[in-house]
Amino acid sequence: MDVAQALVMGMQTWGIIGAIVALIFLTIGIDRIDEDARGAYVFRPLLIPAVLLIWPIVLWRWWQIETERAAWAARYRPVRAYYGAAVCLMSLGIVVIVFSGLSIRQTWPGDVAPVQLSEGVTQ
Amino acid sequence: MSVKYTPVQWNRNKWIYDAVMLAGVAAFLWVFLYVTPDVLNHERAINPQIHNARAFGACAFMMLTVILCIGPAARLDRRFLPLLYNRRHFGVMTAFVAITHAGYILNWYFNFSSSDKYVGLLYANSSFGQIAGFPFELFGIFALVCLLILAATSHDFWLKFLTPPVWKRLHYLIYAAYFSVAAHISLGILQDQQNHLFTLLFMAGAAAVIVLHVAAWLSERSEAAAKDGAWAEVARVGDFREGFAKIAKLANGERVAVYLMEGQLSAISNACAHQNGPLGEGKIIDCLVTCPWHGFQYDVRSGRSPAPFTEMVPTYRLRIVEDMVEVHPDANPPGTYVDPVPVPAPADPLPEEGTPA
Repeated sequence: MDVAQALVMGMQTWGIIGAIVALIFLTIGIDRIDEDARGAYVFRPLLIPAVLLIWPIVLWRWWQIETERAAWAARYRPVRAYYGAAVCLMSLGIVVIVFSGLSIRQTWPGDVAPVQLSEGVTQ
Repeated sequence: MSVKYTPVQWNRNKWIYDAVMLAGVAAFLWVFLYVTPDVLNHERAINPQIHNARAFGACAFMMLTVILCIGPAARLDRRFLPLLYNRRHFGVMTAFVAITHAGYILNWYFNFSSSDKYVGLLYANSSFGQIAGFPFELFGIFALVCLLILAATSHDFWLKFLTPPVWKRLHYLIYAAYFSVAAHISLGILQDQQNHLFTLLFMAGAAAVIVLHVAAWLSERSEAAAKDGAWAEVARVGDFREGFAKIAKLANGERVAVYLMEGQLSAISNACAHQNGPLGEGKIIDCLVTCPWHGFQYDVRSGRSPAPFTEMVPTYRLRIVEDMVEVHPDANPPGTYVDPVPVPAPADPLPEEGTPA
């Protein structure tokens, strides 16, 4: 239970920090780094969920833009080179997990006696 | 000056796209809940909450499968491109359907104890040391978080703010999410499935995603390997049409649009600075190419939008070698002017025999 509670508390903390970042970024930061956002306010609430979820990346990009550290070419660097690796990993993973799932079915391929999976249930 | 952000950019095609998508979701849920309980073996659902949870879960899997099929299908066959252009709305709707599934689960299975339901979800099953009985809920949680990140970062602002490479890498989470959904289903509902029609449908969907993606990847790889080298071939001079582009794919994966304008060739990135729209599919009018997606315009000689707009895309160097137009893969900084390359006039035909020279 302690681990589960710690995880939930961690998620809540993550969300609280995200809310603070969202408040500052969407009221001050966004006007400083994106001229298209100046004077545009209606769309800003739509950005809140993303800031809550990925606020470390938001802070990192905000810092990069403010300090002009990102090279122009990085914006145009193609990422398709990783497409093959992503597809192969996903495909292999799906094949393995589907066959693993089917192979451990207690009623597959024929009906067999159920097996007790964990001891905790009997306690 | 540039175009201000709006919450959602609607147009007639997007309304139609979204209406069809919503009708499809409603039809799927109706068929699942009221037409096929016997066929799909979910007639044993204990109560409406569980039945609804299964319906929305199955719908989310179906939607995710379709989304993942659209991309490679459009790369393999251009007739699928219209489905690709509004895929972000599809993704956002999928995230909502997945949240609804999670909500039914949380508010039924974990809602009636003294402990917090989120703690209960993480605590209820901790059999991490075995495949049978593994806490498949974790795969579902991970997939849901991925879908939420993808949906939440689907606004134009994020593409510009994060830059396309970072945004694209973030959106590669879709592959991890789909694997997690497959694991969630395989170690979850499939363990209890008695009628295997749903099992077969699930495997067919996953197989379609795998086959299409592997086929698209192999196709791209063979194209790239054929074009590897310092200068990349685009097309023969005679293949160009005045006012239109040929799109070259470089070995590094980048696409370059090479235009013929007033007898001269110019090359810019094929990706619009707005949303990476395909500039090479636009037509040149008054030295400006118009992005077919949202109407952003660029001078093909400099990659710059006309004043007062400030968008810029990289330009490329061109040369013509023995009637073949070639592009150098190193991009110039966005907005760099490059002198257009004149197309050589066609050679005079040889005088026919017997006619005076």
